[in-house]
Amino acid sequence: MQTAPHPDAREQRDNASFHALMRALSRPGTVQKLPEPGAVLIAAALLDRECRAYTDDAALEVPLRQTGAALVPLTEADHLFVTLGSAAAVTALGAAEVGSFLYPDGGATVIAPARIGEGAQLTLTGPGIDGRLSLQLGDLHPSLWEARRRLCRYPEGIDLFFIDGARVIGLPRSTAVQEG
Amino acid sequence: MSLDTLTRPWKAFSYGFLDASAKREMRRKILKAIAVPGCQMPYASREVPIARGWGTGGLQATLTLVNPGSVVKVIDQGADDSVNAASIRRFIARVSGAATTLDTVQATIIQSRHRVPEEKLRADQVLVLQVPNPEPLRPVEPNMSVARQMHADADYGRMWLQLYEQIVRSGRVMQGASYPSLVNGRHVMTPSPIPRWDVPKLNMAKHLTILSAGREKRLFAVPPFTRVEPLVFDDVPYRVEDHAGLTCHRSGARGVFMNEIPQEDGTSLHEVSDSQLGVKLLNGEAPGEMWYRDGVFRP
Repeated sequence: MQTAPHPDAREQRDNASFHALMRALSRPGTVQKLPEPGAVLIAAALLDRECRAYTDDAALEVPLRQTGAALVPLTEADHLFVTLGSAAAVTALGAAEVGSFLYPDGGATVIAPARIGEGAQLTLTGPGIDGRLSLQLGDLHPSLWEARRRLCRYPEGIDLFFIDGARVIGLPRSTAVQEG
Repeated sequence: MSLDTLTRPWKAFSYGFLDASAKREMRRKILKAIAVPGCQMPYASREVPIARGWGTGGLQATLTLVNPGSVVKVIDQGADDSVNAASIRRFIARVSGAATTLDTVQATIIQSRHRVPEEKLRADQVLVLQVPNPEPLRPVEPNMSVARQMHADADYGRMWLQLYEQIVRSGRVMQGASYPSLVNGRHVMTPSPIPRWDVPKLNMAKHLTILSAGREKRLFAVPPFTRVEPLVFDDVPYRVEDHAGLTCHRSGARGVFMNEIPQEDGTSLHEVSDSQLGVKLLNGEAPGEMWYRDGVFRP
């Protein structure tokens, strides 16, 4: 007699977070639900000893270390947990790892807080979007979009997740962002 | 930080067979594969209890996605009841507690070897394709490092040369399965050995497709609403197999992809390749919305 295996709470949460991230990235601009609010959840689902993380938020340092990831300077990190509300932060992001044409998977994953549904109007086109999609993202410095264009020389680039509580929006490097 | 927060309680068995670090690596690679559609991402490819080359890549992707709420369908060359498909399906159910189905419409995760179902996939479904050879350039460039450089440079001239040579030698494109296709206008990928009939089903589809090669340790993806264009010449259009006029000898179905069954007298009979579609038609059930109507592709 076999009993059906049951995932523990951690496995359930990581699996649900990953499904949200996967849907967010394969359908850029659509709002997906994480099982709980917070960037810690994303770190738990993705990071371990094989990763190098960077954060500018002192409160995140301990949870990031607990995943086993090494905390490194921004330029060496493959997962960045940053706030992109100021021009200085966006300028710093300009030095992030973007991978190479040979190995585009070296490009960093950037997780940043934003207000979804408020602020600047954006129009998205590209893979995962049926035609075009409009959305509003607030709490981000307007220079981010020009910085992102400079970083994302496809297939090089960074992949962004914007989180607002338990809501998440994905913006892979393949998406073209137009302001307005 | 204490040891308690860094360690996990001992367990005899990881949920979904793969251990947590294997799953995290798959998650990271799947996300990167989605971000660069059609580009092959290397991954570690852990051991699973089937032999390399029998669907280990697809199995690892499925085991990463699966949860007790999933409904899993496994296809082998169109059939749900082959030994390979039945064994993989039973294994997934045993280690994850997920429900299984043969019905395309009910499934949430469809792991497939060499076919895309005939019924349309929806946005909430994920197609996982098992890939024996992820490198479309291998016939023209056996050196993997050189092939990677060619992908980096989008240097695909030799792919067209290969197709041109087939036309010169044989009068038509001879590539039957794994038809090389340009994804998002940038990377040429092999869509795994699905027939030409199935390649249009990946173009601007509603579903996410994950293609995973366990033996070769590469993973790539086609997100929804992504261009997948078979390589063709302007004056030689892409053609799917001439199956529109064939009739299934068991279910009477027409206008779907058929298996040819040679007979002793030298003739052949045909039957629906998508076995569960055949069963549905035999039972008089209405199939879901189909990709092809009357043998013509309707996106």
